[in-house]
Amino acid sequence: MSSPLTQTVHWDLTYDVHLGSTWGRFMQGLREQKILANSCPECSRTFVPPQAYCESCFVRTEQWTELPAEGDLEVFTVVWQGFTGGPKPPYAVGGIRLAGADTLLMHVVTGLDFSDPSTVRDQLPHGSRVRAVWAEDRTGQILDISHFEPAG
Amino acid sequence: MAQRAAVVGVGITDATSPRKQTRSHLELCQEAAWAAIEHAGVSPAELDGVVVGNIDGFEGTVLGGKHITRLLGLGTHLPMVVLNTGGTTGGNLMQVAARMVRAGTHQRVLCLGGPTFFGVRDLQSAINTNSPMIVEQPLGMGGFHMGAFAASAYQARHGTTVEDLASVVVADHQKASRNPYAHLRYTLSETDVVEGTPLSSPLTQPMVCPVSTSAAAMVVASEDVAAARRTPSALIRAMGTSSDPYLGGGKGDFAVMENLAALARRVYALADVRDPRAEFDVVEVFAPYVHMQPMQLEALGFCGAGEGIDLIRSGATDAGGDLPTNLSGGPKCTNAGVAGELAPYAYTALQVMGDAPEAIQVPGARTGLAHGTGGSFFQFENLAVFSQLTPQEQ
Repeated sequence: MSSPLTQTVHWDLTYDVHLGSTWGRFMQGLREQKILANSCPECSRTFVPPQAYCESCFVRTEQWTELPAEGDLEVFTVVWQGFTGGPKPPYAVGGIRLAGADTLLMHVVTGLDFSDPSTVRDQLPHGSRVRAVWAEDRTGQILDISHFEPAG
Repeated sequence: MAQRAAVVGVGITDATSPRKQTRSHLELCQEAAWAAIEHAGVSPAELDGVVVGNIDGFEGTVLGGKHITRLLGLGTHLPMVVLNTGGTTGGNLMQVAARMVRAGTHQRVLCLGGPTFFGVRDLQSAINTNSPMIVEQPLGMGGFHMGAFAASAYQARHGTTVEDLASVVVADHQKASRNPYAHLRYTLSETDVVEGTPLSSPLTQPMVCPVSTSAAAMVVASEDVAAARRTPSALIRAMGTSSDPYLGGGKGDFAVMENLAALARRVYALADVRDPRAEFDVVEVFAPYVHMQPMQLEALGFCGAGEGIDLIRSGATDAGGDLPTNLSGGPKCTNAGVAGELAPYAYTALQVMGDAPEAIQVPGARTGLAHGTGGSFFQFENLAVFSQLTPQEQ
């Protein structure tokens, strides 16, 4: 008889991640159906989600702005195989360029027909217009935006 | 006093799947560490430091590096540094060891990378915990999902087909089939790759690395120690690391590896590399997902934007080509976490020393480039240029 090769270990832990003032303000904005961004005073780039410091210039960000809840889908992937504890596949996650932002906002994208994997990329070509759909119950988290859907 | 550093010994274990692995993390690490020490021709008592890596949360413990080092059997009073930089841990081991040697405070430092991907039942769920908390982690992405963003953007930019991508996988497997240390040593066809199980578009299962179990180790020593050896060592001519923004959405352009291109310019300048295509005899890049190798070849200055797959298809990157790349089969065919990330450094050093496995050794290789990357959306990049250091005339 062969000797056992493995033993099982299981962790089930809950954590509280402290948002701080920058992401705290962003999350409060989502509750109010506003997508808030901030900008670097030196390079003028606008970040969404906002950042406390500019990662390029190493200075504190300032000026807050509200961005439109609509933008261009620059990139996305369809998740055919998910993972334990994650959403049920298939689903799509994309990078969305909101007007006025220098970063992409990552979010779930809907409106795809998943019946034929070989066609999904062409259904939402680079630059397709998408808009935020707000969740009914908003608690100050990224999924207060339920998802982005094709616009027009 | 500041001095130059060289790799003087390398140890790599056989690799297999978690299911078939009969040895523990510790036993694999012991084998790699002692193989590197023996290859270097040093005694454990001569070591004056160990740099060991682990990735929190991937192994069911957060003390992997610490307890492993104690149990290697290398003796007491051996200073240890634990690196825990997520997906780039393995690629950073030599960077830290070499800085310790270059500073003049250390003469012989052991780098050790164990198998860190096989503890967790569902690796993608573990990698999800490493993605940016709060704003990106809840969206449902593990490792290959994050990788798929660049694949998708690269396709859109250059009109790359799944068949084009598949050709890279076919080439990697052919190379791995000749490497005795590789995990996936079977060959496959473009059709096998295209028709593989879809994971995250456009990536299919054969386009994504396996979860492997193996360990790797290297001894980094001063130039004086290296020059006193009877056989060639791998002088570290230049090295560096670089980082993109933390959030995936902070990348300016997923279709091009801007961060790696910037790092390459910096490291080439340090090494006085002016024509990378002509000057490197051998290259090992960390490309666990299919699109990464062509994009890296472009960022490293070996070809123009969108030409990486043509370069691979031309045979230039095969054994016998003018730019042999990932003759080990790369992480596409063997990826054991920290050990997998240390592997490009280990194989490149072996090539330049003339001590790579016979079937993959590039005859007469004198100059090599090793690359690593990791972190959420492959935020971090690392590079090193090696040159053969021949023994001093006695």
